[in-house]
Amino acid sequence: MAELRKHFLINKPLQLRLMSYILAALLVVAAAILLNFYFGIWGNVLETFSNQETLNDLLTAARLSQYEEARLPSPSNSPSELLPFFKQAEKLSQRQREIFKDILDQTNRKLLPQFGLLLVFIGWGSIFITHKIAGPLYRFHESLGEVEKGNLHIRIRLRKYDEAKFIGARFNRAIENLENIFSRIKKIARDKKSDPAEALALISEETSKIKTREERA
Amino acid sequence: MPFALDASPPGSPADTEILTRIEKDTVQYFVRYSDKLTGLTRDSSRPGSPASIAATGFALAAIAVGGARGWIPEDYAFRQLRKTLGTLLEKAEHQNGFFYHFLNSQTGRRIWASEASSIDTALLVAGALLAAQYHPRTEIEEMARKIYERVNWRWMMNGSSLICMGWKPESGFLPYYWDSYNELLILQALALGSPTHPVPPGAWQEWLRTEDEYNGKRIIHSHSGSLFTYQYSHAFIDFRELADREVNYFSNSKLATLANREYSLSFQSQYKGYSETSWGLSASLGPGGYKAYGAKPGEGLHDGTIAPYAALGSILFTPEISVPAVLFFFENYHKNLYGTFGFKDAFNLDKNWWAQEYLGIDQGISVLMLENFLNQEAVWKKFMDLKYIRKWIESCGLKTHSAKPA
Repeated sequence: MAELRKHFLINKPLQLRLMSYILAALLVVAAAILLNFYFGIWGNVLETFSNQETLNDLLTAARLSQYEEARLPSPSNSPSELLPFFKQAEKLSQRQREIFKDILDQTNRKLLPQFGLLLVFIGWGSIFITHKIAGPLYRFHESLGEVEKGNLHIRIRLRKYDEAKFIGARFNRAIENLENIFSRIKKIARDKKSDPAEALALISEETSKIKTREERA
Repeated sequence: MPFALDASPPGSPADTEILTRIEKDTVQYFVRYSDKLTGLTRDSSRPGSPASIAATGFALAAIAVGGARGWIPEDYAFRQLRKTLGTLLEKAEHQNGFFYHFLNSQTGRRIWASEASSIDTALLVAGALLAAQYHPRTEIEEMARKIYERVNWRWMMNGSSLICMGWKPESGFLPYYWDSYNELLILQALALGSPTHPVPPGAWQEWLRTEDEYNGKRIIHSHSGSLFTYQYSHAFIDFRELADREVNYFSNSKLATLANREYSLSFQSQYKGYSETSWGLSASLGPGGYKAYGAKPGEGLHDGTIAPYAALGSILFTPEISVPAVLFFFENYHKNLYGTFGFKDAFNLDKNWWAQEYLGIDQGISVLMLENFLNQEAVWKKFMDLKYIRKWIESCGLKTHSAKPA
């Protein structure tokens, strides 16, 4: 059975900082989308159906219907006095379909480039955030490789705003301790070549500070 | 039918000054109500009015005239014409070169599910070609030519012998054709004169010349009897020396104008607005909306509403009665009827109704007719010089003043 986590905020400052980056990016994206929708769609809809615009459209529908009636030969006995009204209603409904199509077309035209910009922003943001984590991980990986090869003089240098700087500092202190122990052992071996018994005693004293498999056994 | 002589010259210098002011003010409609980005002109000054291609055609003509007369800075006029023609060439929705009657003035897209209109496209092309004549060997001329050459007039015949009124993407060709006398002369002229897609010469003979008599005047008349139907084509084309068999359309319009006035005078006792100097029954706004007001012969619908542009539009046919009417409107109804952009559309004294708006096409006919009248027939001279017009005259065998084929 998998072990359940008891604490979700293992490293509170680090996690809070990362959360704030992600939240800020999401908020920017959401705000851009909401503003676009409001001004792109609802703004146009509200403007189009304002009292003044509605009145203008009604008058235009009536006028265009009258133009048609004046130009086109019509039967002398009109079947109904309501006919002009229906013609105007039809024109108005055609116009409203045109308006909605225009609004959607305009919105799409506005949204496309802005979505492009958002994509650039999201791309840049994710590179920025992941770089703050991936950068230190890469340096740890390279430094540990050097240690594996026996280079104890290696130190990790992280950038000012890189995450996990505290681990880097700890790593550097650990490697520094090991380097000091091995430096001292190497010095004993060099200085006490003529007295192997003393050298062994001194080395033994130094290595006693290091825990290894043998002590555990 | 006798051939008409030259239009009479303007009256006194004071009259000329007023008429010039009217023309100059009216040109401003096309500056004010043409979109700043596209140049497309609104159908009317009413808020929410869409752009109309006929109004845009008149705008092209009026702005060219305004620029030439110095009422609009010449470079502004040139840029405005180039902008508008550019929109028409590249942005405005069209079908086989026929523009949709109403367009979104900001985008040039079809609006109000309007039809690709043959007559309105013809008025637009006429305006474009006239503007080109004011700016020969410039990009204006080139663009106007391209717009004209793109129009497939033959397609608009829909396989028939007449030109259809329009086409809609949803339902195809309208069930109406330009089948009898009215403003169709300009449409026929441009369709027959087209260098790329002309209609067959026989199309000229196909439409009806319905003739009837009113007060002893035999007139080839339009269905509505609206005065504008006798004017629109004449704004561009000088018919004085052209005879269609024995018919001279200039003389016909003169008779129609006289009949229009006499018809309203016969109702003088019933309507306060009608008088010797207050007349003009033509399609216009009225107390009950836009109607095809007109006189006999024709339907003769009227309710006391007078459109000042009707008298203005006949100023070349009947200066002796048109000038007094225009001056009467200007002097007596100035407060209610005259504004920044010339005469408002119409009025009705019986209902104490005064239009509050200007209509683009009515302003347009006023400008062109006044320009011909006041400025030595400038529009006619330029338009008649077009090779396309000569082609039309030749292809339908119109006779010149000497009654010989052109």
